[in-house]
Amino acid sequence: MVHISDGILSFQVLAFGWIVTLLLIALTLWWSKRKGSIAEKIPKLSVVTAAFFVASLIHIPVGPTSVHLILNGLVGIMLGTLSYPAIFIGLILQAFLFGHGGVTVIGINAMDMGIPALIAYSIFRIRQSPLFGAIAGGVAVTLAVLLTAAVLLTLGESYVWVVRALIIYHIPIIVIESLIAASVVAFLSKVKPELLGGGK
Amino acid sequence: MIEYPEIDRYADLDSILHKFDPRAKIVSFLTLIFSIVLIPDLKVALMAFTFSVFILALSKLPLSFVFKYLKWVTMFVLSIFTILALTFPGEKTSFYFISLSKDGIYSGALISIRAIAATMLVFPMIGTMRFDETIKALYMLRIPNSLVQMLMFTYRYIFVFADEFHRMLTAMESKGFKLKTNLYSFAVIGRAIGMLFVKSYERAERVYQAMLSRGYTGNPKTIADFKMDAKDFFLATLIIFFAIFLHLMK
Repeated sequence: MVHISDGILSFQVLAFGWIVTLLLIALTLWWSKRKGSIAEKIPKLSVVTAAFFVASLIHIPVGPTSVHLILNGLVGIMLGTLSYPAIFIGLILQAFLFGHGGVTVIGINAMDMGIPALIAYSIFRIRQSPLFGAIAGGVAVTLAVLLTAAVLLTLGESYVWVVRALIIYHIPIIVIESLIAASVVAFLSKVKPELLGGGK
Repeated sequence: MIEYPEIDRYADLDSILHKFDPRAKIVSFLTLIFSIVLIPDLKVALMAFTFSVFILALSKLPLSFVFKYLKWVTMFVLSIFTILALTFPGEKTSFYFISLSKDGIYSGALISIRAIAATMLVFPMIGTMRFDETIKALYMLRIPNSLVQMLMFTYRYIFVFADEFHRMLTAMESKGFKLKTNLYSFAVIGRAIGMLFVKSYERAERVYQAMLSRGYTGNPKTIADFKMDAKDFFLATLIIFFAIFLHLMK
């Protein structure tokens, strides 16, 4: 899980996360407003966000333990620029409904997961194929882990081991996520291709 | 396999916090949460922790309910605590055969207590009102309309899709599918997730058409029946005062 909990980060980092996140939300909502009314998109966007929320609750067995999917790459592939507000909403609900992640860190966590989602979208736009889906899915999780690692390293060198543990824990998740992203992209391109590539 | 969000399961209990005005509750609790996570000192953090426990007791929420959700944050901070205690540079102290860092234990404990004290407050805040009251309160607090609506719709559809996905898994399992760590399992679960998106998208289309035909314009009209009285102002002021007080202590 690439969420950082409450109580760890400094004021500067928390504030930075909120500022970047609020700016990016304003920017992405404005961007999609240019292409038509946002009121029309909200119900659709929310339904897909809810589907992602549910999909991320699935336990995937890895040896003796199990992991949850992060799916930020797929959010990017399917929702395009609107993936950022979708991730923000997902994180708010996770913090308030399950106590996962944290309240004060929503800004920084949205940044850590949302920026890779936007990058995954631009990778997938190069070629809409399962292979590029797998790359986008894997890159999104890798970048999310690296951004989280960078955020933890702002706390000082004493966190080096925490960061190492975080990265090792996520290596299997990166592999699983890219396989699942490839499978979802292959399925959707046959069944409902209009869901891929940022939607209409 | 997939758990429902049941945060407002105990919203119909009767306590001071259940009667607290939702807007005042959200503002004052968020202030307190932000204040707790920034406490620089272990003693003050312990005081805040005690206060959180007190608030939790006031809310009359069953402890088993809260503990179930505190599991995640506890596991997260305890693993950080362990790593810091073992690897933090500085003065060492030995515990049987293991050498532990004093500074690591101190900062690990500070982090853990702040994290648990802050997360614990989510339940007296959100768990003491129905989720639609939370949404209405956010709307009245002038959070941008599009975000409030997304929160509301997403929350509602989580239940629908949890059921939907559960049905799909039951169908798959009844045909002999078992989720294991292999390529075949991932391909199948990927297709199931894809199907969930197709179903959700088609449902979204129908729902949107139905909403349009009922006059949906994107601007919800809420009938406000919240009333702030002296008691709400008093309680909110008290909590915010405590939040400030935590940072004036030396």
